[in-house]
Amino acid sequence: MHGHLVKERKELDLRALENMAVKKTLWQDVLARFLKNKSGIAGFVIVVIMILLILFAPLLTRFDYDAQSFPDRFLYPSSLHPFGTDNFGRDLFTRMLYGGRISFMIAIIATFISAVIGTIFGSAAGYFGGVVDTIISRFLDIMMAIPGLLLAIAISAVLGPGPINTAFALSIGGIAMSARIIRATVMAIKTNEYIEAAKATGSRNFRIIRKHILPNTIAPLIVNSTMSIGGSIMGIAGLSFIGLGVKPPTPEWGSILNVGRDYIRDFWPMTVFPALFIMLTIFGFNLLGDALRDALDPRLKD
Amino acid sequence: MNLLEIKGLTIHYAMRANTVHAVNNVSLVIEPGQTLGLVGETGAGKTTTARGIMRLIQTPPGKIVSGEILFEGVDLLKISSAEMRSIRGKSISMIFQDPMSALNPILTVGEQIAEVIHLHEKCSKREAEERSREMLEMVGIRPERAGEYPHQFSGGMKQRVVIAIALACSPKLLIADEPTTALDVTIQAQVLDMMRELKDKLNTSMLLITHDLGVVAETCDAVAIMYAGEIVEYGSLERLFHNPKHPYTLGLFGSIPSLDKDTDRLNPIRGLMPDPSALPKGCKFRERCDYACDECRKEEQSLREIEPGHTVRCMRVAGGVLNG
Amino acid sequence: MGEMLRVEHLKKYFNNPRGLLHAVDDVSFTINKGDTLGVVGESGCGKTTLGRVVIKLLEPTDGKIFFEGRDITNIGKKENIELRKEMQIIFQDPYSSLNPRLHVIDLIADPLKAFRLMGRKAQKERVLELMDMVGLSRRFAYSYPHELDGGRRQRVGVARALALSPKFIVCDEPVSSLDVSIQAQILNTLQDLQEQHQLTYIFVTHDLSVVKHISTDILVMYVGAMVEKCGAKELFKKPLHPYTKGLLAAIPVPNIDYKREKIVLQGELSSPINPKRECRFVNRCPYATDICRQEIPVYEEVLPNHYVSCHHVREINSL
Repeated sequence: MHGHLVKERKELDLRALENMAVKKTLWQDVLARFLKNKSGIAGFVIVVIMILLILFAPLLTRFDYDAQSFPDRFLYPSSLHPFGTDNFGRDLFTRMLYGGRISFMIAIIATFISAVIGTIFGSAAGYFGGVVDTIISRFLDIMMAIPGLLLAIAISAVLGPGPINTAFALSIGGIAMSARIIRATVMAIKTNEYIEAAKATGSRNFRIIRKHILPNTIAPLIVNSTMSIGGSIMGIAGLSFIGLGVKPPTPEWGSILNVGRDYIRDFWPMTVFPALFIMLTIFGFNLLGDALRDALDPRLKD
Repeated sequence: MNLLEIKGLTIHYAMRANTVHAVNNVSLVIEPGQTLGLVGETGAGKTTTARGIMRLIQTPPGKIVSGEILFEGVDLLKISSAEMRSIRGKSISMIFQDPMSALNPILTVGEQIAEVIHLHEKCSKREAEERSREMLEMVGIRPERAGEYPHQFSGGMKQRVVIAIALACSPKLLIADEPTTALDVTIQAQVLDMMRELKDKLNTSMLLITHDLGVVAETCDAVAIMYAGEIVEYGSLERLFHNPKHPYTLGLFGSIPSLDKDTDRLNPIRGLMPDPSALPKGCKFRERCDYACDECRKEEQSLREIEPGHTVRCMRVAGGVLNG
Repeated sequence: MGEMLRVEHLKKYFNNPRGLLHAVDDVSFTINKGDTLGVVGESGCGKTTLGRVVIKLLEPTDGKIFFEGRDITNIGKKENIELRKEMQIIFQDPYSSLNPRLHVIDLIADPLKAFRLMGRKAQKERVLELMDMVGLSRRFAYSYPHELDGGRRQRVGVARALALSPKFIVCDEPVSSLDVSIQAQILNTLQDLQEQHQLTYIFVTHDLSVVKHISTDILVMYVGAMVEKCGAKELFKKPLHPYTKGLLAAIPVPNIDYKREKIVLQGELSSPINPKRECRFVNRCPYATDICRQEIPVYEEVLPNHYVSCHHVREINSL
């Protein structure tokens, strides 16, 4: 065994090892694992298609999203109007594409804000425990006690309507949820000996959180975020419905669906298409989120 | 007649990418009242063998590929699942390593013992409860504690409860999978002592799975050493401990720091056990063996008798190259 | 050789919902440079806590710790971090003590990075050197811990502990979760490293045969208290405390010709929470009398360099 090792030592100097390791940097590993996951790729494709549709909306349709035409009300899908028209005679396909810009962007921004702020609070509470944990947890309890939509309504009412304000209003309600998840995860990770090992090697608290704890909280955070994107899309719809979200005539998936609900018995396209888009988006994000979670965990390599 | 006779048992796990050869052509015999120690390291296939006897291999991915398991002359692999269920817990019972997870936390220990009795013996609930108290007393727990829940017991006491459940229907064969590994030494001594006593009293045969040669020396009548899914050495306790022959067995003895002698350095076996999904051709141990030769690489090794009742799976030993 | 670590009347209590848990209760000892002190006892005896307290990973409740003659009991946070360069620890569980998301090379480099000791390239070179030292093939540098078997993982843990070239290492059950053949390989490596680098060890374990093999002196603990301490060989030849005797008799020996006195200690460990002022072992001791229930026995030097805390040690052993 000894002779064998000596031989290996000569062959493997640092450069040789690094060459070997080129294929093995963390992110390439993640990518390789992700590519093996078929449903993850499906989710990725769905999300990318959605984004492309939204980005290239002006090229994909020759209508304006707010061009009303009274005689063309409630038209069923045809080659001219692939999704039909709505109660004001506007092209539904066009409104779906432009509406996606608002729904998608607000939902992603809101989720991102709540994930970042939630991570900061949650990891502080979970890692330090004691008084820090008590204060943050009680604060989160209070936030959890207020229904998310109600909180968003209150914030929107103060800030006024508009996409950015809506995103902000929706993110506040999500903070408590993601903070709680992170807190629970951090507390579980903290019991692992490698945290104590990091302390024993002389690492300071901030370094331990950054290097050893946060990377291990990514999985639950991603799962929670992909779920909350769907929730946010519905939240925007709710806000818009009571006039606090996006102002008409700006289209938005949730509000199209809401209006369509009034005609659900007589005219299906106005409910089916927005519902289908919302569903597909949420579905795509969930598949993507699950696959990312698996890809980010080196233990699940095979 | 032998109580249990295993002939050529082979168990594979078919994974997505490969097949794990967990147990390969294992043959064992247990006589009535005898204790057989099955010794080996993690991944040697000890637990899979035990689960195979109980027909508790999860299928898929696991599969009993071939072999016979004759229990009182009946091949357990040929009977129906209903018949097998009536044997499990009644004629053959099993103790697992971890007493913490083997008990249901929301039932009292008395209820858990009575449940097994009620299931297998046609008796009333009350009788079963009565018997469960007797069982507790037998394993050294005050019968008044029958109404307590598992969390109220210490680790050693829980393992006694588990043993009481296993022995409740006076099985003919007890399979104990590392029954004392999770316990402290002084508690282990108590439990082993108790198991020996009960075994003699009830005339139960036992298959004791362990990695600890010390426990074997104190408990067993016969020993089988398992490596990479195969029995590599098999014999009576005395023959095997007085005259260990297989290089792996010798390596195991050399790895244990001795209490009765002073040694400066241990003589461990080099390397690691081969991956059970890619076992080498020929002798499975040759890559770690100091005595391996070209023949070992080519030939599949068979168990050969080197003295009456002592077999070794090593051609070098059988060929007289390795002696002492 | 000079003194490396001296501990005087060390205590560590934890608040517990049911009262004060006396994890370590009045422990004193000295370890000389290059020696190994084996600390043995059953689960809950305080041996793991003791290992954490002497290197200041946990703050002691009371008592004094001297490292190379310097009092480190009440040093500040900064000094404590500096202390990591001198005192290190190897953990029991090579599965949970390694961050699953880091490559071996980053795991071993972690202490170097924490202290920003050298450039990135030098760090990596140092890691490879460490891997050679602990007998871990370089080809595993970019493996994840879950790709390694238990023995190799534990070598990663050893290399990480050695990265800062400490003088003193607490080995907390480093081989307990490994198979015997792998265990022997790691024990040999630890012994070689001790010789090459003049390391001083505290070796915490429940396995008496391992501790006999590796230690210079052995300290036996029972429910937080010291029971007996003497040279390793002496302890096995001439155990004086009734608990040590029972403990030695309980070890299964893989030798069917080895005859010895059969003692099976009855009962279980007493609770370390709010212990009474009595001998901790009184409930299981075959020699217990009234005085054992009334007074904590004094820890005294009964024979040269052989310390025992038992009221009846002289009668029992006819000394």
